[in-house]
Amino acid sequence: MTQPTLFDLIGTGPNGWGPALLTGAIMTVLIAISGFAIGAAIGALGAWAKISGGPVLRGIASTYTTILRGIPDLLVIYLFYFGGSSVVTAVGRWFGAEGFIGFPGFLAGALAVGITSGAQQTEVFRGAFKAVHAGEIEAAIACGMSRFLCFRRIIAPLTLRHALPGMGNVWQVTLKESALVSVTGVVELLRQAQIGAGSTGMPFDFYAIAAVIYLAISTVSGGLLQLGEKRASRGVRRA
Amino acid sequence: MTVSSNSPSVPAIEVRGLRKSFGPVEVLKGIDLTAHEGEVLSILGASGSGKSTMLRCINMLETPDGGDIVVAGEKVAMKPGPHGKSRVADRGQVQRIRSELGMVFQSFNLWSHKTVIENIIEAPIHVQKRSRTEAIEEAEALLAKVGIADKRNHYPSHLSGGQQQRAAIARALAMRPKVMLFDEPTSALDPELVGEVLRVMRSLAEEGRTMLVVTHEMGFARDVSSRVVFLHQGAIEEQGTPQEMFANAKSERFRKFISG
Amino acid sequence: MDFPFLYETFLTLIAALPLTLQLAATAIAFGAILALGLALCRISGILPLDWFARLYIFIFRGSPLLVQIFLIYYGLGQFREVRHSMFWFILRDPYWCAVIALMLNTAAYAAEIIRGGLLSVPHGQVEAARSCGMSPFMVFRRITLPLAVRQALPAYSNEMISMVKATSLASIITIMEVTGVAAKLISETFRAIEVFVVAGFIYLAINFVLTRLVAFVEYRLSPHMRQPAPLSAATVAGEIR
Repeated sequence: MTQPTLFDLIGTGPNGWGPALLTGAIMTVLIAISGFAIGAAIGALGAWAKISGGPVLRGIASTYTTILRGIPDLLVIYLFYFGGSSVVTAVGRWFGAEGFIGFPGFLAGALAVGITSGAQQTEVFRGAFKAVHAGEIEAAIACGMSRFLCFRRIIAPLTLRHALPGMGNVWQVTLKESALVSVTGVVELLRQAQIGAGSTGMPFDFYAIAAVIYLAISTVSGGLLQLGEKRASRGVRRA
Repeated sequence: MTVSSNSPSVPAIEVRGLRKSFGPVEVLKGIDLTAHEGEVLSILGASGSGKSTMLRCINMLETPDGGDIVVAGEKVAMKPGPHGKSRVADRGQVQRIRSELGMVFQSFNLWSHKTVIENIIEAPIHVQKRSRTEAIEEAEALLAKVGIADKRNHYPSHLSGGQQQRAAIARALAMRPKVMLFDEPTSALDPELVGEVLRVMRSLAEEGRTMLVVTHEMGFARDVSSRVVFLHQGAIEEQGTPQEMFANAKSERFRKFISG
Repeated sequence: MDFPFLYETFLTLIAALPLTLQLAATAIAFGAILALGLALCRISGILPLDWFARLYIFIFRGSPLLVQIFLIYYGLGQFREVRHSMFWFILRDPYWCAVIALMLNTAAYAAEIIRGGLLSVPHGQVEAARSCGMSPFMVFRRITLPLAVRQALPAYSNEMISMVKATSLASIITIMEVTGVAAKLISETFRAIEVFVVAGFIYLAINFVLTRLVAFVEYRLSPHMRQPAPLSAATVAGEIR
């Protein structure tokens, strides 16, 4: 058997892994987007807890960020994948099911990535809120805005603008972290590359292709984010 | 304390045809200047006249585009570089000459990670390879001389501007320089701190040190210096003794300049 | 809570701690040297060097570390030339492959941190050193580098923590450091939460100690950024007055 060339590998021919790698890449983006969205929701809640929560809420939020910043992401993925499976199995047994029930890898991965991303976004949102000028909030209150209206019309948009650069960084981290989800068997980009490497005996080509695709995704999304940032932050002075 | 080591016939500093441009702007248009031993030259001029650039060219912090710098009879070797500008030919020579010139900056530029005494002994020990004990002894004497002996172990950030500048003067003196170069030494200071620095500089002048002082302090120029040099748009417009210059300068511009 | 199980898990995991620490320390140490070189390339003003360093940083920061580990451990063995080279005894060893990947990866991040530190050094202090007749190398060694290190240390401490966390990926190429042992325990006992708690505690402890250590070094290295006792007393007195 002759070795297929790099061109054959990424093509759509009989030896081609192009469609499979593309599907994997789409899966990677899906995991990253889900994780990022979960993280954004957690981040908003966490920042709110840290800024205006009572001592208990603040304690919970800072314990959460401290722990997630200090332990490996891989461990979190194992927790959700294996931990989720044992919870599901226990629940299943309760309803009379037999044996081990696996927790869906995609869900475990997205949750794990989301929880990690959430810790980072908590800090981003908190920093962004701090950057909102107290005078702007005072001015809103002086206009007679209610607290909710002030949050919706003034604080939230301003915070979001300040948060955009930081969120861009978190997105890049989240994207790379999604590669860890391959350990749960979800066929995303890296797992697909592993499969390809195993069945062709050309690991270098496959992992190099995967690396290039990751670089492409991160460059393109980074460019888009920067574009959005520019549009959103008209009138905001850059430090 | 005497600083003399050369025969009086050799000028301490000689600048010949010094030219320097930054991009399209010609900052120095052929400067000729001689400073003999024991002379104190006050270099005056409006901002942008090139006086700081000239001083910085003397110890090669700026590389001249053309012309010669001669320090105590030794010419700084230059070689032709790209775009018709000259380049330093021998880095070792420049480094040695720099260690014979004491430079005092407008913004002090003390090394922030070293205490006052460490700032002063740094170059004597590491550049001039003198012994540590000797360097410390001399540094302490210099600190006493500039009046901040009690600040020996303070870090620069803990000193006032005037104290920092006096420490910087002590640092320059510690290299036993043949010539002291002052680049607007009081311009970054609060008005009430200017006096303490000028007093130190005056005492150095009285010792007979050779000094080139770029300054805006008219009092210092008139009372302390032996010669006043007035620069205008990159050229020496007029020079002479303070008496000549302040009483009846030929230059209309200089008379306007000193009247404020 | 099943305390005997937690305790047993702790004993099992702590036995793998030296390997985790060794991985992190080796990668950080070699990575720092490489990072300094890259940072110098970036600020050298020599275009080919600058572009090389930019490309390096782009690649290693833009792709997942796990891909880099796979590329080195599985990928390089694809080539006959590598398998027959004198480096093969290193490149077929998962431990060294993990160290190399971690080192190359941290160097990319650290290079930017060091570059920031080098750029933060006030130009005037460099000029003062040059005006004393110091050679460029001496200026770098005695003035620029010490100031840059002090400036870069807080950011570098975050990078070191990232590296400690990143050593966990070595478990995927069969290295039995703390996460590797934890994964094995989980798959044997199906008690993910307990094992996670113990392993997490160990990593938190490492990073806590590391943070304290760097903070201590930073404190020792930057007396110039602290207020001296007599002066602060004077300031306080001034405020009261």
